[in-house]
Amino acid sequence: MSRTLFHMALYAALALGALGLLWRMAAWFRVRIGPDARAVTPAERVGALFRGAASALFSRRLLHVVAALFLDVLLQRRLYANDKLRWLGHLLMFFGFMLLLLLHALAPVVTVPLFPGYESTLAPWLFLRNLCGAMVLIGIALFLYGVWRRRTRFAPVRGPMAAAFIALLGFVLMTGFLLEADKIASPQAFHRMAQENGVTDPAELEPLRALWAAEYGVAFSDLRQPLTPELLEKGRAVHAEGCESCHARPQSAFVSYPIARALASVAGALDAARADVWLLYLHVFACFVGLATLPFTRFYHAVAAPVSLLVDAAAPKREFSAAARASRRALALDACVRCGLCDTDCSVAPLARHLGNPTLLPSHKLIATGALAGGSLLASGHEDDALRAAEGAFLCTDCGRCTSACPVGLDLEDLWEAGRGDLAAANLPAPAQWVRARTASAWAELLRQGQSAHVLSDPDAALAPLSADRNSFSRCVQCQTCTNVCPVVAHSTDPGCGVDLTPQKVMNLLRLGMRDFTLGSRMVWDCATCYQCQENCPEGIRVADIMVELRALAVHRLGAVRNWKAPS
Amino acid sequence: MTSGRGNSCDVAVIGAGMAGMAAALFAAERGLSCIQVGSGGGILFASGLLDLLGVHPVAEGRLWRSPYAALAALAREQPGHPLARVDPGAIRTAFESFVAALGEAGLAYAPLRGRNRSVLTALGTLKTTFGVPLSMVAGANLLEAPGGRQPCLLVDFRGLREFSARQIAATLGDRWPGLRCQRIDFPGFEAVPELYAAHLARALESGETRERTIALIQPLLGDAHAVGLPAVLGLGHSRAVHAAFEAGLGLPVFEIPTMPTSVPGLRLLGALERVMAARGVRRRHLSSVRALARNGNPGTMTLELDGVPGGERLSARAVVLATGRFSGRGLTADRGGVRESLLGLPVQQPASREAWHQRDFLDPSGHAINRAGLRIDAAWRPLDASGQPAMPRLYAVGSILAGQDWMRAKCGSGLAIATAWAAMEQVADHLGGAGAG
Amino acid sequence: MKYALFLGCKIPSRLPAYEASTRAVLAHLGVTLVDLEFTCCGYPARNVSRDGFVVSAARNLALAERAGLDVLTPCTCCLGTLRHAQVLLDEDAPLRSRVAQALAADGLAWSGKAAVEHVLPLLARLIGTNKGATVPAAAVSVPRTGLRVAAQYGCHALRPANVARFDNPMAPTIFETLIRATGATPVDWPRRLDCCGDPLHEGNPPLAEHMTRAKIADALASGAEVLCTACPHCHLRFDAVQSGAPDPSLRTLLYTQLLGQAMGLPAKSLGL
Repeated sequence: MSRTLFHMALYAALALGALGLLWRMAAWFRVRIGPDARAVTPAERVGALFRGAASALFSRRLLHVVAALFLDVLLQRRLYANDKLRWLGHLLMFFGFMLLLLLHALAPVVTVPLFPGYESTLAPWLFLRNLCGAMVLIGIALFLYGVWRRRTRFAPVRGPMAAAFIALLGFVLMTGFLLEADKIASPQAFHRMAQENGVTDPAELEPLRALWAAEYGVAFSDLRQPLTPELLEKGRAVHAEGCESCHARPQSAFVSYPIARALASVAGALDAARADVWLLYLHVFACFVGLATLPFTRFYHAVAAPVSLLVDAAAPKREFSAAARASRRALALDACVRCGLCDTDCSVAPLARHLGNPTLLPSHKLIATGALAGGSLLASGHEDDALRAAEGAFLCTDCGRCTSACPVGLDLEDLWEAGRGDLAAANLPAPAQWVRARTASAWAELLRQGQSAHVLSDPDAALAPLSADRNSFSRCVQCQTCTNVCPVVAHSTDPGCGVDLTPQKVMNLLRLGMRDFTLGSRMVWDCATCYQCQENCPEGIRVADIMVELRALAVHRLGAVRNWKAPS
Repeated sequence: MTSGRGNSCDVAVIGAGMAGMAAALFAAERGLSCIQVGSGGGILFASGLLDLLGVHPVAEGRLWRSPYAALAALAREQPGHPLARVDPGAIRTAFESFVAALGEAGLAYAPLRGRNRSVLTALGTLKTTFGVPLSMVAGANLLEAPGGRQPCLLVDFRGLREFSARQIAATLGDRWPGLRCQRIDFPGFEAVPELYAAHLARALESGETRERTIALIQPLLGDAHAVGLPAVLGLGHSRAVHAAFEAGLGLPVFEIPTMPTSVPGLRLLGALERVMAARGVRRRHLSSVRALARNGNPGTMTLELDGVPGGERLSARAVVLATGRFSGRGLTADRGGVRESLLGLPVQQPASREAWHQRDFLDPSGHAINRAGLRIDAAWRPLDASGQPAMPRLYAVGSILAGQDWMRAKCGSGLAIATAWAAMEQVADHLGGAGAG
Repeated sequence: MKYALFLGCKIPSRLPAYEASTRAVLAHLGVTLVDLEFTCCGYPARNVSRDGFVVSAARNLALAERAGLDVLTPCTCCLGTLRHAQVLLDEDAPLRSRVAQALAADGLAWSGKAAVEHVLPLLARLIGTNKGATVPAAAVSVPRTGLRVAAQYGCHALRPANVARFDNPMAPTIFETLIRATGATPVDWPRRLDCCGDPLHEGNPPLAEHMTRAKIADALASGAEVLCTACPHCHLRFDAVQSGAPDPSLRTLLYTQLLGQAMGLPAKSLGL
């Protein structure tokens, strides 16, 4: 390979990768998630990083950071706690890859100075390289198996860049093994080396060829003499003189050697096609492509996730300043590896499946939160996505299981809270809030205008069967007991936050067939579901149950006529 | 006696109106374990005043000063009336016992005397009754004062639509010259257009609101010898609130019951529930009995309940039917006539629908349908079509019994308490005699 | 005695002391708690989807059923929601079949076998309190004599009574009895059965605060030193409203902590 081409490509890849990294990392200080993040400037956020790093480095927290580096980053303690198989796969991939990077790719700057007499074709390097490669391949296989095993209706969105990462990694490994196998089997490579070492006399060359055919896997197609012990003995003498110092027997390359044997019949053809050259180009340039695109493929998690873990160790969860919190949220968007462990543990996962809304699930919600911060969620044409994201965000119960499960130490509860703040700012708050935008009668008027074309055909039966069934409220005698025992009406002494109707009036509206007038009512939405009304009703009417059902109906019916528009 | 755990008991009381509550109380007081099914919603329509017998005969609308004299007349002239079947001494004991239990539960009544009292109503009329809550008795004292009616201040609250002091004063003014009225804003509720009595009652359980209210009334007192207020002086802690008003104003203070459903109704229900809880009566709220059958096991009955996930079966050695009349759904009326709702027991009723009502709806003698109900034997057991007790240990109490018109006779509480007492005496006799447990 | 412990969403993340003290007290009393892969009880879904709420609840009930265990929860809201779902499943056959279909996708089924119970009635049975008992229970070694405690029942434990099946909804006594069992003195306070205000927190914060403050003021005026809770929602609500104040004057204490103290369990094991 031309050194100039190699170096040009290497430096170009390094430059592209570095620029990309800068661009991506700048986002940690630029992207704003949460209303409080809008109050701090990027400069303040960079300052907060340095202050935070300094205070962590010069305090007892340093011990936590060091511990996190080993236990969380290198040994993936959190992943181990959550999913042993995935942990094994990750560990194999990580250590296999890192050893290959250091001992093989960076051999001239790492292995050669450290190990005098290093030759890539000597023991134990042949074996080690194969071992590392095999670790990565097994890791990839375990990863793909895991993805297949945990496939659900709402798998985490991995996207083409995640596939590109795995494909590229696999490609580098496969070309590496093929290259090694080709070199083992190649007669051409043997002859080139023999010539370089001055073994040209047929009396030396033939025994050496015999030995390398018998014991080193070279696939000669033109061996003229039978491989007698005498001939091999002669070859061994030649070998000891010129080859042994650089070449161990390749059988320890336990992956490449079998491939080489398998390629024996086509070794000549491969030589003719200059396979060693283009395999090398493919192998090396695939690595360069990986390097250049690192900030934009899943490789990037190798940068962002450790940062996240170390930041998490550097400061306990709630001790962040607003500026630091803002950066941490932006970092979370990059550090998430879409492993989906959060989704598996999510408290409302059954509800997500029932509602058919994946944005209840953390891995999906994280993407939506990012899209909201980036503005793409609020772009016109994405109204349905935005509305579903809001539904998902406000059904979260803040149980914190996603945060506990996260192997990269994201404070997801904080991220969700920030995301809900952004949604509210985009006029997408919780239903209990957005219904307040209009009075109950204004909502009823909107419904009357019949803009509810895309309401479910008959949502009543599944959402609000009691309010659809006269028998459940027609016994109401308007005795006012429900109102008298209602703590919400009792505490509505401030007209600014009081209710509009009383429970008894809600029941009366139902009796009068004016259910639409109840849907946006403060009374319905401010019902504390304390069940005093239901418990005390002399007629046994399920007042509170009806109120709750009316809310579910309102979310659907008023949601349909709400006509939310993305802010332009 | 049967132990008080799980689903079995000595007595199951079906119904939680006044009669059901009284029956459960008296069962517990006799040491019988008791489960009571149903919610006490009907009690919310009560005024807290406990009538014994105010009017007899109904057709004449004759008011009685002494309920016991009225009972004696009733026994002579209408021996089939359920109240006439109970010994007056037992009625006195039953009332004392009932009122004492309420007092323990925080709802104090004025000591019962042998006579009926006159109590002011929110309409400005006078009501004849027997048991008067302590918070209302100062009004009765004022009305009955031998030396004539002393000056009195009635206070109402802006926004409390169900109670108008001015209306009462206008109605009674010519007969009570010293009766004045004033309207004030209820502290903390100044911005609320429509007030509800129970909310004010809860608010007055806070010392701060109480003091501010007293301070608003204080300057209005003038020559008043007593102060009348709508019945909003506390809910579960009315005794303390009432005492604080009397102490704060330095005058007798009395409540005037508002229109049902009212604070005194909520208070009475709350106190009765506390009575039941204190006596270990196991309650099954918001449930109803779907079926009642005699068990193969001699001497027990099985009740199947609705309203509970998976249903529930109770086992009882005796059952008391206190399901009331039509509003309590103890009786069901349809084209074919009136029947008892749970077991379809025969109901004593007019021969045809045409005979249910008088021609004049306001006819003072009432309507035949208002006297419909179950016929019972001497042991308070409802009878089947053949005139035999429908079940050996099934009893009936309260307004489901035939031969009475409690609304017109002003004897609702009396009917409930007296019949519950008498029936429970029979239950205890029968169960004691059965020797089980 | 063995139960599947249903902690719900709030306790593990926001009130770990409730989990710790529940486990400590029940372990001391010989109860085995099993952890299943429970999810949200379904309460938040009620405002959006009746089916979604019941499916969420039924999944948990079905998990317990498969494990052959009854469910024990320290949260009154979870109790109310899970029992409510049982009632709806019981009375609504079409709903039942829709839910069965949803559960079948996870290989689960609901038949109603798993009962749901709150921690308080279980404790009442375990420490053998009798109604009206005035002496501390036998398990109590360090009676909390003289401590004046206001019981915060929590709405969904009490009402609607046919669903909750907990105690007399109008005149409950179990909490006061349990307080007496620790040697402490229960306080009678007018607003003891009122809502804590938490459910209104999202939609109407000022009204919610009005309700919570009224309760705190009432308990204080009634002479309470401690507000004793048995629901994470109530507990966190009282703490949240008082945390803004310079000096929170009404201490909140979980019943499991109060009992644990009275049993002489180490403070750390009770999350204190």
